[in-house]
Amino acid sequence: MLGWLLTRLVGVVLAAWLLASAVFLLGQLRPSFAEQQALARTDEPAAAFSSPGQVAASQQALRQRLVLDQPAFYVTRAAGPPVRWQWHGLHNQYHHWLRGVLRGQWGRSLRDDQPVLEKLAPALAYTLPLMSLALALSTALALGLGAYLASGPLATPGRVALRLVLTGLQALPLFVLALLLLLLLANPEMLDILPAADLGNYDADPSSGRWLAAYFIRLALPLLSLVLAALPELTLPLAAALRHELASPYAVAARAKGVPARRLVWHHALPNAVLPLLVTLTGLLPALVAGAVVVEVLFALPGMGRLLAEAAATQDYPVLIAGVLLTAGVRLLALVAADLLHYWLDPRLRATLA
Amino acid sequence: MKAPRLHPSSGGAAYWALGWLALVAAVGLLAPWLPLPYSATAPDLANIAAPPTWHGPAPHYAGTDPLGRDVLAGLVAGSRQLLLLSLPATALATALGALSGGAAGYWGNHGLRLPGWAGLLGLAAAWWGLRPPLLVGLGVALPLAVLLVRYWRRGWAVPLDGLVLGASTLLGTVPRLLLVLAFAAGPPLGTGWLLVLLVLLAWPDMARLVRTQMRQVRTLPYVEAARAAGLPTGRVWWHHALPAASQPLRAFAPLTLAALIGLESTLAFLGIGYSEATVSWGQLLGELRQAPGAWWLVAGPGTLLLATLVALQSLARRSEV
Amino acid sequence: MPALAEQLPRLRLVSDSLLELDYQLRPQAKWDNGQPVLAADIVFTLKLLYCPGLPNERARTEMGFIKDCRTDPADPRHLTLICQGQAPEYQWAASDFPVLPESALDSAHTLRAVSLPELRRGAAASPAVAAFVARYRQANVGRYPAHLPGCGPYRLADWQTNRVLRFERKSEWWADKLSAPPFVLQAHPRQLQFLIIPDATAAALALRRHELDVLPQVPAPLFKQLQQSETRQELAFYTTTSYNVVTVGFNTERPTLRDKYTRRALGQLLDPAALAQATQQVPGLRTASILPPTSPYYNDSLPLPAYNPGQAAALLRRAGWQRQADGHWYRAAQPTPLALDLRYRSDDAMLSTVGLQLQQAAAQLGIAVTLWPTEGTLLAQTLQAGNFDAYVKMTKGSPFVLNFSPLLHSQAIGAGNLTRFSNPASDRLLDAIGVEGRPARKRQLLRQFQRLLRDEAPLVPLFMLPNRLVADRRLRHITPSGLKPGYVAAAMTWAANTAAGR
Repeated sequence: MLGWLLTRLVGVVLAAWLLASAVFLLGQLRPSFAEQQALARTDEPAAAFSSPGQVAASQQALRQRLVLDQPAFYVTRAAGPPVRWQWHGLHNQYHHWLRGVLRGQWGRSLRDDQPVLEKLAPALAYTLPLMSLALALSTALALGLGAYLASGPLATPGRVALRLVLTGLQALPLFVLALLLLLLLANPEMLDILPAADLGNYDADPSSGRWLAAYFIRLALPLLSLVLAALPELTLPLAAALRHELASPYAVAARAKGVPARRLVWHHALPNAVLPLLVTLTGLLPALVAGAVVVEVLFALPGMGRLLAEAAATQDYPVLIAGVLLTAGVRLLALVAADLLHYWLDPRLRATLA
Repeated sequence: MKAPRLHPSSGGAAYWALGWLALVAAVGLLAPWLPLPYSATAPDLANIAAPPTWHGPAPHYAGTDPLGRDVLAGLVAGSRQLLLLSLPATALATALGALSGGAAGYWGNHGLRLPGWAGLLGLAAAWWGLRPPLLVGLGVALPLAVLLVRYWRRGWAVPLDGLVLGASTLLGTVPRLLLVLAFAAGPPLGTGWLLVLLVLLAWPDMARLVRTQMRQVRTLPYVEAARAAGLPTGRVWWHHALPAASQPLRAFAPLTLAALIGLESTLAFLGIGYSEATVSWGQLLGELRQAPGAWWLVAGPGTLLLATLVALQSLARRSEV
Repeated sequence: MPALAEQLPRLRLVSDSLLELDYQLRPQAKWDNGQPVLAADIVFTLKLLYCPGLPNERARTEMGFIKDCRTDPADPRHLTLICQGQAPEYQWAASDFPVLPESALDSAHTLRAVSLPELRRGAAASPAVAAFVARYRQANVGRYPAHLPGCGPYRLADWQTNRVLRFERKSEWWADKLSAPPFVLQAHPRQLQFLIIPDATAAALALRRHELDVLPQVPAPLFKQLQQSETRQELAFYTTTSYNVVTVGFNTERPTLRDKYTRRALGQLLDPAALAQATQQVPGLRTASILPPTSPYYNDSLPLPAYNPGQAAALLRRAGWQRQADGHWYRAAQPTPLALDLRYRSDDAMLSTVGLQLQQAAAQLGIAVTLWPTEGTLLAQTLQAGNFDAYVKMTKGSPFVLNFSPLLHSQAIGAGNLTRFSNPASDRLLDAIGVEGRPARKRQLLRQFQRLLRDEAPLVPLFMLPNRLVADRRLRHITPSGLKPGYVAAAMTWAANTAAGR
């Protein structure tokens, strides 16, 4: 068991390293433009009195400070005939970056020279509550709706309508859903009841109830979008599993003994149908992260998704790589955790692993 | 783990779905010849973000976007974009997934052995392709050559299963959108590179599916019998095992197509790797942010996108029966 | 620093390439810790720009023309800056930087041991300077500026990157004691809160919900929408002319674009009138040169550029292009037909519209234009490296700086001269304009230069971009300005009986 866990964890580290290296090196394949960010646009009036020599000199100084003047990797290949390979030793950007990461230094953003972790932490602190809330809400809703769908004949108008809505929601990409909500609920031309963006200008004290209310009102639209998008993914399989359980002999027997329908669903069928739900939940994580990107960009929320989208658009590789590594790490650990949970919940698996 | 069948009466729905998809495909195919009053990329500077009109000499039947482009022409161009990007991406990913997953499931980590000379050939090809500095090259190549000669007789086992599983785990760890974001950041990629990227992201799931199926199929009596009859392994694999193992893809391919269309339109919506010269539904939807009251930017593209995705999903459900 | 000096500096020309600026600092000026603001603080700040390993490259580029400075042993508030070159604009530009307190950052006076020219030459490798740089980085004042005493009217109260910047008025500030403070030393609002809203639509919505009081740089469609909205009674609308002009530039080093007739032909395919109307929704913004028609230096004898495909075809033929049977244009010794890669910033609908219009007009004439919307910083580098055929961008101008050398001088190729335009006559003109102090002569030279620019057409100006600002109607004394953030925040006041400002 311990050996199995250890191999999995080594695999996690290896996969994360490979992925981060791939992103880093692919970023180097394209010409590096990042240093421009810190420099004045040289055609602005502000730089009107500098000679081109001065501009070039400060560009060089910047490249030196950001270690961009070194070659990208241990070996580089000079293009064109004759093809030549050059060995640069340890003075290269990849080595510099890797050594930093191993020492826990994630580098500084190329955009504003802030330590990467200082940028990630507040973004994560914003995104995590949003995602957990979305996850909790949609799970609770899915349990309720799933039980409702399974607890009676399929052909009632209510169930048919719910099923249709869920199927439609399942097909709709998240950005269309969020856009529709935005258009309907935060538009002065339609219904102007919810704010369209989180401006971050709460006047109230963070510990007060007013602050919390403001926070929830501002999160209402993004949260609603995420929950609605995740709902069909969770509800439909759960309903099917519940139906399957309710048709099995033990449920028939219980019903024959006169167990009420509600009790049958919640106490007998649900515990057996929850295992597939668990699998879906771990599979939902990437969808939620992708959802966070869309929702945070659309509603202008200062979270992880928008940070990464902006880092990608501006080729801010230190931030981008740290974000990718973090997401990959969490995801891989979640997979291991799900396996462990499975192992713990289902005694039959223990025999195969032992 | 099959998703259960939802609609007992999905037969009729499937015909509707097929009909709709055929219509979209026909419009996309015939786009250059359709008698549209405007081209999809030409701006009408007198009508910026104008609502639909039905009067006048050259009316915009579905309105214009904030750049002045005709929305109706954009819808048609968008369906062509599906044919040119999402459909080929799905086809390629399906082929790649079936082949790699089928091979991995059939031969596993030890089943496929390459003869010893194949290794030397590969080494020579690598040398020629990379043209390393002489000392470093010799330092790496000589020990490898010694190993190759030692294994000359037994051949080289290709760890197919490990390779496929490893690649799919690696690509599956980070959400697709994030990976595209990381790789496609910067200037527009162009349709070719976007296609490669989409295929790269879509094939692992398919490979996994076929691999699992293949592990069952290879133990089935008729495959065993074909092997026992002395048919060449490649022939058994190609003619007997692979068709059976690829069955689940019939349901999975439409789902993948739907996922790729969703991903592609999300990218266009976020404005990643796109230029105004290629119009797509997602892009039109994204322009709503510049003209928040322009419902006609949502109505057309949104309906088409939703209908196409629902059609694909109902088709997938139908194929599972 | 402009606020700290008593008046604009006295100018003195030295030899034929240096300019000396004489400043006298206000005796009342004080840091928050009670220390007076002295010339030594300014010298210290200038030296900081050349300390290696600090994020100072941008400021270094901007203030690079200050060669040396001289303090007065008799008067600690008297300072002389020595500038390279003799541009008259230096009297505004040379003092345009914030000043840092020497007493708080370098109480040991480490940097006094090194002179500014020594630091500029890179003689900064001395261990004393390195130790100072390490201390400076340790203090992390870039992230926590509130740790430093300032000399301005506001204190940074809250800073969340990419979200909020909040300033609170200091209760006691030295300039409050002045009897008649000049405009730059007025600071009325108790609190200033700058919100960064990535989406213009969201910002406009927030304005309508009174979550914002002032919204600068409003895009034209939103401006119009706000003017038609129900909340327009509560808002005030300001439109001012700016010196920013939307231009299309050509890479004059490309073989296809090397001759001026081809460039002029392509310029004729642009439709400035329709584009200005479509993107700005106001007539009368067109210009014939890179200066606005309102400028006293504008050459009003030049005709406005206009859409004219017929003339474009004629110009192409004059440049040696022939339209072949396949509909494309070919020229002797050039195997490929005339085609264009057009680059512009990706997040601006206005630039996209310009690109699409040119693409459409060129396609009708048989010229393929490929559009390359590119992320802003990426674009800057691509353009500087010369990897483009043509671009559309907003060229920023300023009423105070009439020096176009960074934009079009052959020495600025690889830096600000994106079109790589190189012409001996224009270089001579630009050099002359740069040092000319007499307005009449300057006007004559600038008119000449505008004519030359029109003839050579490395840049085609389309229209001026107005500054649009929307504010709460109850705000008084709003002064829209071309400089960031687009208005003078500290000068605003609320009309009687309204709450404190954001």
